[in-house]
Amino acid sequence: MAFDKKGVARRRFGRRKGCRFCADSDLKIDYKDVRTLKYFVSERGKIVPRRISGNCAIHQRKITEAIKRARNIALLSFTSKRTIE
Amino acid sequence: MRTYESIFIIRPQIAGDEYTALLGKFKQILADQQAEILRCQEWGTKRLPYLVKKQDQGTFVLINFVAGNTVVKEFERRLRLDDAILQFQTVLLENGLDLSAQEEESAEGDKEAADDDNEQDEDQD
Repeated sequence: MAFDKKGVARRRFGRRKGCRFCADSDLKIDYKDVRTLKYFVSERGKIVPRRISGNCAIHQRKITEAIKRARNIALLSFTSKRTIE
Repeated sequence: MRTYESIFIIRPQIAGDEYTALLGKFKQILADQQAEILRCQEWGTKRLPYLVKKQDQGTFVLINFVAGNTVVKEFERRLRLDDAILQFQTVLLENGLDLSAQEEESAEGDKEAADDDNEQDEDQD
């Protein structure tokens, strides 16, 4: 029962359907907003792929760019989830 | 004229008067080149997620300004020369900066693509 396919697939990132940035236009993607970006970064500091985060192509691109900018100016880590906060 | 956003990290050992002087110096560099400073935020000293020039802490400063591209070039050159600056990054804000709302309006960037179809047919008899 606990090991049905759905449970296993859902275990890791709390997968959500749909792009949250499309659903809520108030949400802005900003490279300075580390708290939002952290959600799209794995424990290792890797960018979470679109198929897992559920972002649409446009917003995934913006997230990727924002994460890379944040890494560049030492707001986010390249290798772990450590941030300035 | 374009709106830019510049973040730079200052060595954490620099504090007090030295820090104020340094900040004043870079503001002056912008002012000397007729750049208009929109906003200057000091985020204070923070622990960095990775070592930058062997430092694990740094003082963050964010400056928004309106200027031409040559100003950015000179500003970054001066940042690079200064030993007290650990890292810097300048980003172009395409939609400008809306200070009143404190959030950038993304609805601004609509472009109208005008399609002009000029077909000139020359009949040769």
